[in-house]
Amino acid sequence: MIFFLVPLFFVLIESFYSKAGRFTLIRYINFFMDSRNLFIYLRTLKLGLIVTIFAVILGYPTAYVISNAKAGRRSLLMSVVILPLMTSPVARTYAWLIILGRFGLINQSLKAMNLIKTPLRLIYTENAIIVGLLQLFLPLMILSLVSAMENIPDDLEEAARSLGAGWLKGVLLIIFPLSMDGLILGATLVFTGSITAYVTPAILGGTRVLTLSTLLRQKSLVLMDWEGATIVAVVMVLTTLILYILLRKLRPKLI
Amino acid sequence: MKKSTALLIFIILVYTFLIGPFLIIFLASFGSEELMTFPPKGFSLKWFHKVFTIVMFRDAFWSSLKIALGSTASALILGAPIAYALVRFKFPGQNFIEVIFSSPAIIPGLVIGFALLRFFVLLTNLPILLGLYIGHTAILLPYTVRVISSSLRNFDISIEEAAVSLGASRLKSFFIVILPSIKTGVVASFILAFITSFNNVPVSLFLTGPGVATLPIQMLVYMEYYFDPTIAALSSILIVFTVFIVQSAEKLIGISKYV
Repeated sequence: MIFFLVPLFFVLIESFYSKAGRFTLIRYINFFMDSRNLFIYLRTLKLGLIVTIFAVILGYPTAYVISNAKAGRRSLLMSVVILPLMTSPVARTYAWLIILGRFGLINQSLKAMNLIKTPLRLIYTENAIIVGLLQLFLPLMILSLVSAMENIPDDLEEAARSLGAGWLKGVLLIIFPLSMDGLILGATLVFTGSITAYVTPAILGGTRVLTLSTLLRQKSLVLMDWEGATIVAVVMVLTTLILYILLRKLRPKLI
Repeated sequence: MKKSTALLIFIILVYTFLIGPFLIIFLASFGSEELMTFPPKGFSLKWFHKVFTIVMFRDAFWSSLKIALGSTASALILGAPIAYALVRFKFPGQNFIEVIFSSPAIIPGLVIGFALLRFFVLLTNLPILLGLYIGHTAILLPYTVRVISSSLRNFDISIEEAAVSLGASRLKSFFIVILPSIKTGVVASFILAFITSFNNVPVSLFLTGPGVATLPIQMLVYMEYYFDPTIAALSSILIVFTVFIVQSAEKLIGISKYV
């Protein structure tokens, strides 16, 4: 505990106190006044939001199928879902380089179909980061939703149907409200995970499309601007904490 | 009928998105050209051979293994009492500690690595391997605390009380009564923590130094200079091991419940 909380505490202190030892917010003001930093910060939040939205859209039907599957198939589906979380992040992201790269799957296929002459630039873009992050964090959304849906008794949906509700209405009126807790938990994990992830933006965004985490690395390990890096680190921690607390407040109390 | 067909197609697409890239990396590692292309041209096993001839990969593999085993063991030893205290007792600051340990993303690994480098390793000239071991232990704690405390919540407290009232000390009752019944949770957190440490980049990024690097960091370094299928071959090997571990762990203890 001490080993890692004390250094974190020093980081926090350093960012709020001037050299003369007085409390100051000047470093944060300077950080956000710099339009490049602000742009990177907003981009990081935007990417996190987009990934979360896609994770909900893709995760919901998937979780619904998994939670209704028979035990044997369910176990297989679940073990495949968690694979992206367990695989080496370098290996997983490298796969997207092969797909999106200059001589990768998509460019080669488009060329073969005579749709393009020169390769498209697909890596080092925001979209590449979104795709990579989605593959990594979709499993977390699916897992949270499955565990929420499992707590819903099957009879409820059947009761709704026998009372004349169609399939879609049953899902919307019964499953959706009762799995809200899982949805919010999943969204928390996906959002906070996306804005703090390092390997995916490092490989698929490079230095061209920086996010908070790749900016932190650039400031500290490349530019040796330790003070600047400290600000990025604290901004990152505070943002995740605030998001975490806000989303926790949203969780329904009854369930 | 229409509903289930549409859902089926949807699920197949989602699963293709999740694991399709792994199949592609697998195919790409058999290509014979120096520059990575897809679809691969020719067939060759030379990249798999090359993985084993690169000394920096071999050294990094052993460092990763040592760090993963050491930090997983420490995270279990430190995490079990923390989980026990969180479940059994009420104390000030409990909420704060629970929030910190509830999700690995609350305090990002990148920030932990940075803080440790800046205010610990650089100030004390700590040996690199030791720094990595401490950093990894710190990021693994949320995994062990979370999994063990959820196992403890399912454990009937009266059994422990019975052991204590029959004369066992708290420590003894932990080892002979509680531990056997939360065995599955302990095994699950061991597997999760080990994989997390072995794959970690954000913490290691800051704490590696001359002569000592972990396998993922060494792969990133290699990728900066070469774009041949060596990394694809190494990734394929890692993916095969991961699939094997995840499938066996799912069969034996249902690992997906603990992720």
